[in-house]
Amino acid sequence: MRLSGTPGAPGIAVAAAWRYAPPTAGAAAVAGDISTRERLEAAADEAVAQLDALAAGLRAAGLDEEAGILEAQGLMATDPALLGEAMRTAELSGDPAAAIRAAGEAAAGILAAVDDPIVAARAADVRDVAERMARILSGTVVRPPDEPSVVLAEDVPASLLAELPRHLLAGLALEGGTATAHCAILARAMGIPAVVGVRGLLAAAEHARQVAIDGARGELVLDPDESETAAVEARRAEAAARDRAAAALRGCAGATADGRAVRLVANIGGPADVPRALAAGAEGVGLFRTEFLFLGRSRAPSEEEQLAAYRGVLEAFGPGRPVVIRLADIGGDKALPYLDLAPEQNPFLGVRAIRLAYSSRELLLTQLRAISRAGAAAGVTPHVMAPMIATLADVDLFDGLRAEAQASLEAHGLAASPALVWGIMVEVPAAVFLATELARRVGFFSIGTNDLTQYLLAADRTNPALAHLHDALQPAVLRAVAQVVAAADAAGIEVAVCGELAGDPAGALVLAGLGVDELSADAGSLDSVRLTLSRVTSAEIETLAGRALAATDAARVRALAGELLERDATPAR
Amino acid sequence: MTSVQLVVRNPSGLHARPAALFVRTAGAFRAAVQVRNLTRDGAAVDAKSILALMGTGVSAGHLIEVIADGPDEAEAIEAIREAVESGLGEAVG
Repeated sequence: MRLSGTPGAPGIAVAAAWRYAPPTAGAAAVAGDISTRERLEAAADEAVAQLDALAAGLRAAGLDEEAGILEAQGLMATDPALLGEAMRTAELSGDPAAAIRAAGEAAAGILAAVDDPIVAARAADVRDVAERMARILSGTVVRPPDEPSVVLAEDVPASLLAELPRHLLAGLALEGGTATAHCAILARAMGIPAVVGVRGLLAAAEHARQVAIDGARGELVLDPDESETAAVEARRAEAAARDRAAAALRGCAGATADGRAVRLVANIGGPADVPRALAAGAEGVGLFRTEFLFLGRSRAPSEEEQLAAYRGVLEAFGPGRPVVIRLADIGGDKALPYLDLAPEQNPFLGVRAIRLAYSSRELLLTQLRAISRAGAAAGVTPHVMAPMIATLADVDLFDGLRAEAQASLEAHGLAASPALVWGIMVEVPAAVFLATELARRVGFFSIGTNDLTQYLLAADRTNPALAHLHDALQPAVLRAVAQVVAAADAAGIEVAVCGELAGDPAGALVLAGLGVDELSADAGSLDSVRLTLSRVTSAEIETLAGRALAATDAARVRALAGELLERDATPAR
Repeated sequence: MTSVQLVVRNPSGLHARPAALFVRTAGAFRAAVQVRNLTRDGAAVDAKSILALMGTGVSAGHLIEVIADGPDEAEAIEAIREAVESGLGEAVG
């Protein structure tokens, strides 16, 4: 029987079914010599000790975020709102396990009612911790499965996943839950395939013995027959073959099967991301976000501090792999104590990025000086780009700042880069319409498809109710990209794309077909984009791009790209 | 009694992990510490209780008031202000 839900974590497995049900309240624990109050206290202490030990294990495995979740649960165990409430009830009823479950339910109810989905989702954590204390009190433990299994449940406590031996956890399928629930996040971090929100799962799986699960597709098959098992195994073998093929290509430059180069570079948010980008075979950095230097502090970063940060990244990539440093994209949404920015109604339409040059000129000058000095120190030509360019006057402003920074370095006798390649982000719709004129002034374009989509469709990126408008494969966005590429080609400059679309294989095919020279994405996406491109010809992606431009909705574009991707999935060559 | 008003910048507000750090910080002092979500016009709750704190529904950009009362109230307020402004263990903008 085939069921589907929401993809929770990618991966494919076929394994035994293991139904998990939270233990229900057993017989009231026998009253011992100690008071119910003391027994609850002891249970809370034991729960904290267990959770701390689990958290330490996760931390040692590098799963800091997940460890933090369990540590927060430890605080809940001793929380007056939970433990105090349970103590009061238990003194009357004499059943501490039932009392802690009831208190957990009450506290969870309060959180679930909070008008904030993130807090409401934490209700499960409170129930989980209360359940753990109840188990400690009644002496019951969850018996792990005997063999590697797919866990089937309404919902599972995140701590259960951390607790079960990893080799016994083949997969996870939940009737409830969402892709952002803690156990889905944990499953992704642990590399366990997971499907969540599977309606009717528990009723259908009551007698199931075997489960085939495909996390990326959000599908599972209960008691698969021979042909279904074979199909899932084939998909798993195919995915493994893709991974091997991608690994083999990692040292190669991005290109189509017939040799059209498409440079594949990484987006990084700071020096900490450099090793991952290098390991993924990035041919450079297409977007070095510098906000990390400016946020969460009371004073602006000094020129020397910035110099050290930029220099380290430039040196790590060396002369053959250019690094594009983006000027700080900050504004009224960030409220930095050292910038005197008035609160704004719409900070993403406000004084931010290059627009800071009017009010905080020194901030951008310092950054440009640091970038130029970093290039000189590392012996490479730095690339720098300005975000939020909307007019030719913005370009004049950027050019003026750049020249002033260079001149002031010379005046102070500081080593500056002899050359600085400077370009602009194309993310404000106005820049699309001025692309011809802008292209004659700057060294390169980098299209930020995330913001361009948000601004073109007038759809706030952070509003999940508008998710259907955030797809950068919207024909309006693609037609904008095509205009920008045409303008850049006429002026002889290169075009990069540094939005999420560049890291999506379907998006990468369309963008490369439209004539984009460089795709910049999270290091984790580069393998699949490189492999996808290597299996198509430039003629095929140009045909795809032509059809995409003629399409009238994003779903149609995705279907067209999907045809090419599917063909690539059956390894013909 | 000492109090301070602070803006919470954590992108997801005071969810589990930042709330845990907030509660640990408040718990290190003898002074009684209370928190009120001014943006939601909520009631003052015990800042040493993670459940109560999360129940105030503090989202990114919300203004909160922290009130401490006790022998080390000034130190408590200062420590909490420092912790909130530095992002409660998260990168904030």
